[in-house]
Amino acid sequence: MADRADLLQGTLDLLILKTLRLGPLHGWGISKRIRQLSSDVLEVGQGSLYPALYRLEDKGWIRAEWGVSPEGRRAKFYTLTAAGKKQFAAERSQWRLFSGAVEQVLGAT
Amino acid sequence: MRQWLNRVARRARALVHGSALDRDVDAEMRLHVELEAEEIARTQGLTPEEARRQALVAFGGVERYKEAHRDARGVRWIGELAQDVRYAVRGLLHAPAFSLSAVVVLALGIGASTAVFSAVDAVLLTHLPYPHDERLVRIYEQNSPTNRWTLSVADFQAIEARAHSLSAVGAAQQRDVAVSARHGPEQMRAGYATSGFFRALGVQPTLGRSIEPRDDRPGAPRVALVSQAFAVRTFGGATSAVGQSILVDGVAHAIVGVLPRGVSELAGMHADVWPVLQLEPPRFRGPFGLFVVGRMVEGMTLAATQRELAAISVALLKTWPMPDHTARLTPHLLREAILGNAGHTLGLLVAAVGLVLLIAVANVASLMLVRATGRWREVVLRTVLGATRGRLVRLLVTESVVLAVAGAVAGIAIGAFGLEVLKVTGPNMPRLDGAHLDARAVAFAVVVALLAGIIVGAYPVALLLGRDAAPALREGDRTASAGRRTHAIRGAFVVAEFALALPVLAGAALLLNSFVRLQRVDPGFDPTRLVAVHVALPSGRYRADSTISTYWARALPLVRAVPGVVDAGIGEALPPADWWNTDNFDLIDRPVSPGSAQPTSPWMKVGRGYFAALGIPLVAGRLFTPVDTGAQPVVAVSRAWAEHYYPDGTAIGRKLIEGGCTTCPPVTVVAVVGDVKYQGLSGSADAVYAPVTEAWPRALNLFVRTAGPPARAVDRVRSALRSVDPDIPLRDVVPMEDHVYETLAQPRHLTTLLGGFAIAAVALAAVGIFGMLSYTVSARRREIGVRMALGASHGAVIGMIVRRGMAHAVAGAVLGLVVALLGTRFLASVLFDVGATDPVTLVAVTVLLLGVAFVACWLPARHAAQIDPVEAIRVE
Repeated sequence: MADRADLLQGTLDLLILKTLRLGPLHGWGISKRIRQLSSDVLEVGQGSLYPALYRLEDKGWIRAEWGVSPEGRRAKFYTLTAAGKKQFAAERSQWRLFSGAVEQVLGAT
Repeated sequence: MRQWLNRVARRARALVHGSALDRDVDAEMRLHVELEAEEIARTQGLTPEEARRQALVAFGGVERYKEAHRDARGVRWIGELAQDVRYAVRGLLHAPAFSLSAVVVLALGIGASTAVFSAVDAVLLTHLPYPHDERLVRIYEQNSPTNRWTLSVADFQAIEARAHSLSAVGAAQQRDVAVSARHGPEQMRAGYATSGFFRALGVQPTLGRSIEPRDDRPGAPRVALVSQAFAVRTFGGATSAVGQSILVDGVAHAIVGVLPRGVSELAGMHADVWPVLQLEPPRFRGPFGLFVVGRMVEGMTLAATQRELAAISVALLKTWPMPDHTARLTPHLLREAILGNAGHTLGLLVAAVGLVLLIAVANVASLMLVRATGRWREVVLRTVLGATRGRLVRLLVTESVVLAVAGAVAGIAIGAFGLEVLKVTGPNMPRLDGAHLDARAVAFAVVVALLAGIIVGAYPVALLLGRDAAPALREGDRTASAGRRTHAIRGAFVVAEFALALPVLAGAALLLNSFVRLQRVDPGFDPTRLVAVHVALPSGRYRADSTISTYWARALPLVRAVPGVVDAGIGEALPPADWWNTDNFDLIDRPVSPGSAQPTSPWMKVGRGYFAALGIPLVAGRLFTPVDTGAQPVVAVSRAWAEHYYPDGTAIGRKLIEGGCTTCPPVTVVAVVGDVKYQGLSGSADAVYAPVTEAWPRALNLFVRTAGPPARAVDRVRSALRSVDPDIPLRDVVPMEDHVYETLAQPRHLTTLLGGFAIAAVALAAVGIFGMLSYTVSARRREIGVRMALGASHGAVIGMIVRRGMAHAVAGAVLGLVVALLGTRFLASVLFDVGATDPVTLVAVTVLLLGVAFVACWLPARHAAQIDPVEAIRVE
């Protein structure tokens, strides 16, 4: 577990929005997708994932619907809303600005 | 905007479907755990069980996520409220003794006050059931603020003709009559009334027509209205009653209308049958026997109406001279006329119940205080652990509100029961029968409960808000100054409880004292084995004097001849609280100045055997003989009357003029007889008796004294009377012992009620002081232990505790005495033979209260003396 990084505050929302941009997913799917995409570096604790999902739903950025999963199970699928897409774009550019700046500071000699 | 609306909608849904959403969350979590377990099983090759276990461990508690979800739903505060209530209920259930006593005490206070509120609401606050009842007046002849009487025909007709301030005016007269419809004669109450009576009240029959002005004229066909109950009982229904003819005292009346359902009383007059009152033009100013109501025209004030009626009175004196020039026709609001002194009695009850409620609240507040102090550490810990003050305040307030609501629920139940008790045993007052525990009463109970809850919870909250947590945590709870402050406040509560209890106790004791004296009053006759039979001869066949006197001349000897009958006599009045007539008179040797009010006295006709049957002794002079006829009128007076007007003992032979009739022959006093109460046991014993020789009353009471138990003889008396005339309805026979007892019902009920409140007040105060001292003893256990270890005797310890308690009790009692001295004067009007500030009573109740307080102090003190010093010191 030592090689897995803790998530920075505020980045989880961004990651969830990103994974959902690729298509509707259920909760477990989201956590698995984040793990896969980060090559097992980012581990989303369920304790953070679900509250974040409810929060995003409440803000109207994602929508939840019950459906049937590829495994044939009843599951709640989250879909990005139009507002969520806009939010994702805004957060992504903000993140890029932020991470670039941090990189720049760290790279300075 | 749309988004915002969506969010509102979602939150609303979350609120309504809270548990369904929780189930959604459950399902989602479960799926997550299952998928995770499969993944672990697949990648790490574990058994499904082990994989599931690991997945669960990784997941953590499910509840936490649900909570987070609810937070996100934005309904947290409601959830928290429910949680607070749950927590409060759980906390209260953990302290059953505290909770139970608090709820019971509150419920008693709330219940009693709710019952009294319902009574007040029904009697005082509700309108009379007539349109614009604020414009209805009852008109009296009045010559002083306290002396008023009914009207004469001359009065009534003058008002009818001349009063412009009244849009309608009507007269009525209540009589006991014999009504024959389909069945035999039935004795009942009739309200003879003119058409204006119904018009003024605004009462319309539901069926048929009302009595019209054309019916009022003497000689017009006689008509009557009847109650729905009478119509159903006698004719099987309202429709079949209209058009029927009934005999009222032998006179045929056509039923023209049926009054609305449930109306058996109009303007305070109870009757089933309302025959038309046809008034002949008057020949004299008197007699005064009409109940007159009027409706003021819109916008008219009572004062203006009063001025107009006064002017009419003055004008009347020219046509119809009256010895008393000071009497005026005076309107009183009908509402006040009907309620009479009910307001006063209810005021007493409200005051008493209010004091009891305050004591109850003080008691619970004090309990709550102890509980809050005991939880001080818990509260401080919660603060340190991050609970906000608002949250803590809410917790405390929730607890007191939960208590109050429980108290209200139980209180409403007690109130409903209490109201029934009040109706049955309470002071007899108009319209109390109609009282019920309605929405207003429930609202009242809830408001009282919430106020009580706020008062009860206020100080603990103030304590919480006023302090910093950290120092208190360091100090520890018992020695904290908060504890000391709590003590002081509790002490104040105890003082207040005693200060409030003493006036209630004093009031009850004064009433009891007065009641005991009232019971000892000699009614002036021996009620044992004496019965009264009310005989009302129907006016149809018994119109002439001679028919009535013949009836009695035949009936009396027959009754006297019944085996077991010792004596029998007839008279108008039914002592001790019913007399027929009060008459004015003027003593010929001591006349009042012209135009001023003459003295009055109960004045009743008695027939043969009256004095003997009742056992009224002859004090001086001679009893009536058959030769005492109208030509040379004579009267007998009571000893009280004789002493009142002729203190030198020379009443016999005096002459007086009766009823202001200057042309009538003067009346001679021929006898002084023993005192009998006619105006209630607390009233004076003034009485004038006239022998019934002419103008025989059709309704008389037959008094029969029997040798043994009256029951068997009474049956034979009935058959003796039936043998004279079988068509005379005989109402129930009244044993005079019961009758005397009945006349004490009102003071007895008031005394019982106030006594109940007083017991409650004293008990609550005792519980209050007991609770305070018990707490003191437990809080100062260690100190007491040290004292005892240093050699303090049991007596010294007991003395210390008792002194502390008694100091509060005495302070409270002194304050209470001041309140009582100021307050009991309102009792004066219902007290008999006892001053409102009777020192003996006040001293006695103070001693009693302090005695109870002493016992309540001594119990915890004895407990303190049993403390084992070694153990007490080691504990802390």
